Amino acid sequence: MENGILEIGPGQLALALVFILAAGAASLYHGLKLERDLLVGTLRTFVQLFLLGFILRYIFHLNSVWPVLAVFFFMIVFATRIIRERVKEKQVSFFWPILISMVISYSLVSILVTGVVVGARPWWKPQYFIPLAGMIIGNSMNAVAISLDRLLGELRKRRQEVEMMLCLGADYQEASKDMMTTAIRAGMIPSINSMMAVGVVFIPGMMTGQILAGADPVLAIRYQIVVMIMLVGSTAIVSLLAVLLVRRRCFSSGHQLVLRPRNTGSK
Amino acid sequence: MAAGSIIDFCNVSFGFSREVPLFTGVTLTIRKGGVYLVQGPSGAGKSTFLRLINRLEEPLSGEILFKGRPLSSYPPPVLRRSILYVQQTPTVIDGSVRENLLLPFSFKNNTQFEQPTDELLKTLLVDFLLRDVGLGDNALTLSLGQLQRLCFIRGLLLSPDVLLLDEPTSALDRESGQVVESMVEQLNRESGLTVLTVTHKEPKPGLITPLLLKVAGGHIREVIWKMES
Repeated sequence: MENGILEIGPGQLALALVFILAAGAASLYHGLKLERDLLVGTLRTFVQLFLLGFILRYIFHLNSVWPVLAVFFFMIVFATRIIRERVKEKQVSFFWPILISMVISYSLVSILVTGVVVGARPWWKPQYFIPLAGMIIGNSMNAVAISLDRLLGELRKRRQEVEMMLCLGADYQEASKDMMTTAIRAGMIPSINSMMAVGVVFIPGMMTGQILAGADPVLAIRYQIVVMIMLVGSTAIVSLLAVLLVRRRCFSSGHQLVLRPRNTGSK
Repeated sequence: MAAGSIIDFCNVSFGFSREVPLFTGVTLTIRKGGVYLVQGPSGAGKSTFLRLINRLEEPLSGEILFKGRPLSSYPPPVLRRSILYVQQTPTVIDGSVRENLLLPFSFKNNTQFEQPTDELLKTLLVDFLLRDVGLGDNALTLSLGQLQRLCFIRGLLLSPDVLLLDEPTSALDRESGQVVESMVEQLNRESGLTVLTVTHKEPKPGLITPLLLKVAGGHIREVIWKMES
């Protein structure tokens, strides 16, 4: 299988740039004003992936647990920052709740998948752990962002309803139960949908990669099944944890909804 | 704590931000069994005053006592069903009238209450001139005036010690409004319910002469009622 992959040389890489040049030309001709972004995007693709390639090669070479965990943690922190950027919320801070829920759920799923399901020895074997963990984080990051955005939006929009229940003797969990389930569902539906469509509507990237690398498609699908299932699993755990932790922060110890309508209290 | 008081404000200040205070140094006593009207210009903080009493808002400084103990010494759900606040905007869940009336009984802090029977609920609906409303009707199809009474009934079912009403009759016609008012009077007379009502309406001469709380300029004061005759 080692010889199954065709190498792409520097000349061939450069050749691929023809497509970018064509896109740039189209942009100039039609006044799309995308030349700059195309240039920056192409440069970033090259630089980031080359860096990644060398870092991974170095880590594979080190073959020690700490660099692997460092990469894992770096990915999580970065994902947390991306979510914080995407969910624009000033009144409730949620950096730590997201970080904590991500560390817990991703560690659990990644270790279980590489160590037990795939059976890599040791469990942190970088060739398995880093790509699999990366896929988990990259995919369920969106679910967390969607869930949190939905949770905060629902609590704001349905403030009257939450307070109505609080006034009738509900605790904060009871008063926000419906908003919480709506939020978790919203985060999970895309990954459930992709389980429905996989193999029919699209061929997943990882499987494509393995087939290109010369793997037997029937072996590749096994990996893909594991990946799909672990994505749904990690999405469920991380959305649930993140929503529960952030919901806690939306209420004070006196069971008061601290999320306020956006215009009051911020004069 | 003054004798016969049920709620005491001790030097309470409140604002949605520290820079813009809404109340400063409010000290007052709500007497047990009193019927109070809360009046004042729009935006003076009448609703906020009620929300402070049932702890939907937290004072920036000072203390509020209920039966001589700080509000924070009660579990919030227990406090709130004893000091029951009926919101200005009647709010229901997407469900039947029955589900809405029984909603409070589904909360774990209210499990000691016995769930009212359909018969009782129907009687209450009739008492409040809601004869046409069925227990199985979806609450979202009711009119604003019907919803106001529904939410009022839902609150009464928890037999609170204090009732906080935020413009409870704003969407009601004269007759329905009077039904609500006379029910308040009856509960006050028979079970010593303390009632605070935010209203813009002048009270009609009745059996009970209400006490008047004026909310204005960052202060809340009890003023002597001058009945115009």
